[in-house]
Amino acid sequence: MANIAVQRIKREFKEVVKSDEAAKSMIHLDMGSSENMMELTGTISGPPDTPYAGGTYILDIRIPETYPFNPPKVKFNTKIWHPNISSATGAICLDILKDQWAAAMTLRTVLLSLQALLASPEPDDPQDAVVAKQFKENPDIFFQTATHWTQAYAKGSTPVPEYSDKVTQLMGMGFEEHKARVALSNNNWNVECATENLLS
Amino acid sequence: MSSDTPTSPGPTEGATGGSEVSTDGNAFFECNICLDTARDAVVSMCGHLFCWPCLHQWLETRPNRQTCPVCKAGISKDKCIPIYGRGASDQQDPREKLPPRPQGQRSEPENNGGFPGFGFGDGGFQMSFGIGAFPFGIFASTFNFNDGRPGPAQPGTPQHSEEQFLSKVFLWVAILFMFWLLIA
Repeated sequence: MANIAVQRIKREFKEVVKSDEAAKSMIHLDMGSSENMMELTGTISGPPDTPYAGGTYILDIRIPETYPFNPPKVKFNTKIWHPNISSATGAICLDILKDQWAAAMTLRTVLLSLQALLASPEPDDPQDAVVAKQFKENPDIFFQTATHWTQAYAKGSTPVPEYSDKVTQLMGMGFEEHKARVALSNNNWNVECATENLLS
Repeated sequence: MSSDTPTSPGPTEGATGGSEVSTDGNAFFECNICLDTARDAVVSMCGHLFCWPCLHQWLETRPNRQTCPVCKAGISKDKCIPIYGRGASDQQDPREKLPPRPQGQRSEPENNGGFPGFGFGDGGFQMSFGIGAFPFGIFASTFNFNDGRPGPAQPGTPQHSEEQFLSKVFLWVAILFMFWLLIA
């Protein structure tokens, strides 16, 4: 069997490039450096009217040998604050990337599904429990945190000055920026709790 | 089940598919799995087209949850219909290690009533006229001339007298029966 995966990826690549969504620069697919086309880089823009609006998210896509009979392995390369995406590793909890995968799905539909996931988080099936808890219990703080992360990591243009100041404050105490941000986000932006957390 | 299929082509969509064919080669007949023109094509009950090798591998990948790759309707090996085009020159193509494409199913046309074995033609076959009609059955039998049975015996022969006797016996039985019916 002349590898069906390679053939399909070639066709899907064309499909994404020709798609309307690509024309509106909502999704994008890069062939990466690997020659066998088994490792790709996807890009999605944050959907409007969400804390991710204006952000650009880069995704690592690994195509298994058994593609399209098994789903591609996708994770966020860009850091993101979302209940269904690990804030530490970028691992994604999405059913179609697991047991609900179907062979007729393509990289285009996967990218669009991920964009839809950004627009409608599913806190009852979380990947990141801390984020999901915040999403449910403090929706305002969640929204601000996600916006702040978008600006900090995904080239978003909506600043959250209060949070930026707190990060700068902790950085002044000698903590590394990303670690400070994570600690603050995990502690609902309570500086004392975050400091304690960082020192423990 | 196929009513919730987002991609099942309606009449209007079929028309756009036609234009797609003219602009984009034969994309309309692409396998939904390999995205290439379907070879050894089969179609699922929900109407989605696949190469048989592709669909077979999909079904093998998850044997306990066999769903259509497009619309996730339940599908199975037995419920796929092969498509035989006219210019199928690759019929002799041995499908390697895969089991052959499922055979087309041809069911006999349905019989519209009648038991062919009895030779009653198109007329309905009725077992019984009901209890009230029993004596008329006796009378009716004497008026059946053209049904292929031997006619009444010639007068004067012993068979004739026997038949007359039997006829009278039955006539009386019939009269008694009707009398009983009237009284009862």
